Amino acid sequence: MIAPAPDPPSPAALAPVVLVVGKGGVGRTTVAAGLAANAAETQGRAAYVEFGDGAAGRRALAGAPRGIDHLVIRSADALQRAAASLFGSSLLARLVLGNFAMRPLVRVAPAVREIAVLEAVRQVAAERPGVRVVVDMPATGHSVAWLRLPRQGLEVLGPGPVREFCARLARELLAPARSSIVVVTLPERLVLEETRELCASIAQEAGLAVDRVAVNRLPAGFPPAALQAARALAGRPGVVGAAAAALAGVLEGREAAVAEAQAALTVIGQRAVWRLPEAPHDPSAREVAAWLRTEGAA
Amino acid sequence: MTTSRRAPASPAGPAAAVTEPQVVVCAGGGGVGKTTTAAALGLALARSGRRALVVTMDPARRLAGALGVPVADAPTPVALPDAGTRLWALMPDPRRSLRTFVAQLFADEPAAETRVLANGVYRGLADAAAGVHELVTMNLVARVAAGDTFDVVVIDTAPSRHALDALDYPRRLAALLGGRPVAWLAALAPRGTAADAPPRAPAGRLLAWGAGRVERLVGRVTGPGLARDTAALFSDLALVRERFVALAHRASELLLGERAGYLLVAGPTAAARDDAVFLAARLGKQGRTPRALLLNRADVHVPLHDRVLRGLPDPPPALLAALDALEQERTARTAAADLQARELEKRLSDVPLVRLPYLEATTPDAVVVALAADLQPHLRTLVPLDT
Repeated sequence: MIAPAPDPPSPAALAPVVLVVGKGGVGRTTVAAGLAANAAETQGRAAYVEFGDGAAGRRALAGAPRGIDHLVIRSADALQRAAASLFGSSLLARLVLGNFAMRPLVRVAPAVREIAVLEAVRQVAAERPGVRVVVDMPATGHSVAWLRLPRQGLEVLGPGPVREFCARLARELLAPARSSIVVVTLPERLVLEETRELCASIAQEAGLAVDRVAVNRLPAGFPPAALQAARALAGRPGVVGAAAAALAGVLEGREAAVAEAQAALTVIGQRAVWRLPEAPHDPSAREVAAWLRTEGAA
Repeated sequence: MTTSRRAPASPAGPAAAVTEPQVVVCAGGGGVGKTTTAAALGLALARSGRRALVVTMDPARRLAGALGVPVADAPTPVALPDAGTRLWALMPDPRRSLRTFVAQLFADEPAAETRVLANGVYRGLADAAAGVHELVTMNLVARVAAGDTFDVVVIDTAPSRHALDALDYPRRLAALLGGRPVAWLAALAPRGTAADAPPRAPAGRLLAWGAGRVERLVGRVTGPGLARDTAALFSDLALVRERFVALAHRASELLLGERAGYLLVAGPTAAARDDAVFLAARLGKQGRTPRALLLNRADVHVPLHDRVLRGLPDPPPALLAALDALEQERTARTAAADLQARELEKRLSDVPLVRLPYLEATTPDAVVVALAADLQPHLRTLVPLDT
């Protein structure tokens, strides 16, 4: 069997737009804010884009360096603007979106809003040439659903303005030269296996490549001498022996977690990986930016 | 290993009046340990003699694997210490939900089902149709619950702020499908697409003008294909309106009925705290208050071994260094947990806060077992138990 190739040399720099994806709770917002902070520190300016109520960005960017535009895209606004550009008039857009049948339809049809939000991201980037735009994508296991939308639109739609709309998104936003995809994950075997599947479906269904995998919360180990000392004492009788055995148990647990994390990392194979440590508190954007720099994030 | 075991029969026999189970809906952001907490609550209930079913909307495969529960459409017994035969789990596969849903809806309309499955818009929906998985899952639960098989159903919602939207999503979808918009959209379908002509919209003249206008506009920007497919899809959906409303009604009954209660789960991070506050507000809009807020990884104890080993006359330096590092970690964890607990008590002052311990990294099922012991004294705060 041929040995796996070593990790490729430091991969090409990221594209201007960085789409940060990953499921809820893996630290997606933390990584996105860290990337924006890093860009602001090294280039003086950056944009952080989120789709929520703005709270996630305010929280994650607290204490971040100056020069970060914090942009909140609300789907209702994005929809209104996208419709106005489609129909060539905001009045017509309001007529259609306000129509009694269209209103509930748009509310339950997921793709409509998402396409409009992607269009808003495209505009943010177009208005800021040369500025790193970091997008904190929605907390969803279905990031692929978002990324494949323009492509899907091209397949489903007949000729017309909406098709043109999707074509422009595919050309000017969801193209390798325009945006890079960063997947945030955790160092657990099954989570990483899901991540690998995610990377594969992003490639297959959206026709895009995942540029980096950020593995968050890598557990820290202890020097082996500590475990040796605890094990040596564990042989003693009485309270001391029991206490040393308990400590040895804790240290063994940590060692096992580190080993499991290292073994798990092999699951994602040759991808370019950023390794971020576990912290017992919420890390700040500056801390994360520093971690990312040591991992070679440009 | 037993491969199949029947769900426990009602002790009172089939003639007894069916008591609806208590439903406990657990909600919270991602990564807070929600699935683990739901499983632990199920175990604590089983240990106190209740027949408990834990339903997971977003199966964490790690936990499913650890509990030996397959991702499937039927409840499976969970073998954990002291659970007896009373703990069951249901983890339906979200990727199959839409297909299952269509099969349920069109059980009596095979021709329409074939048309829907071939419809371009339906194929585009794929797995992205929000709320459908919840709807399908709740109907599986309703079927099980009708048999007086469980005393408590613990529902672990998807890890998202939108998870609670699923509570009234079935109702909203039913309103949409049962209302004029669908009749109107269906009426746009070319004749001969649906088996029967759907009812025409009760359109006034102004409405008819608006309809024609919007139809032309939408057709103009999307191209003719999409508008036609959408209309055809709704035309077929209009055929099964009644069944849809019935399915949605059953799901809503369980999630929003008299016997449903809500628990918020958070971890000691600012993101988890904000998610919990958001979800509490979301429940408030439904006129509901969470029964309790469970704060995971928030109770950090100084272990017994720390004092003993530090008291040694000649502690090895490497050992002391490890103890110091662990102590620093505890200090940071405690500070983070105290900060979030204070904030949560301030912002959700009417919700009882239960702080759960930080558990050293170990296997997922060991965490469930340990957490169940910590939940045991709080059971009555968390679940309204009849006895």
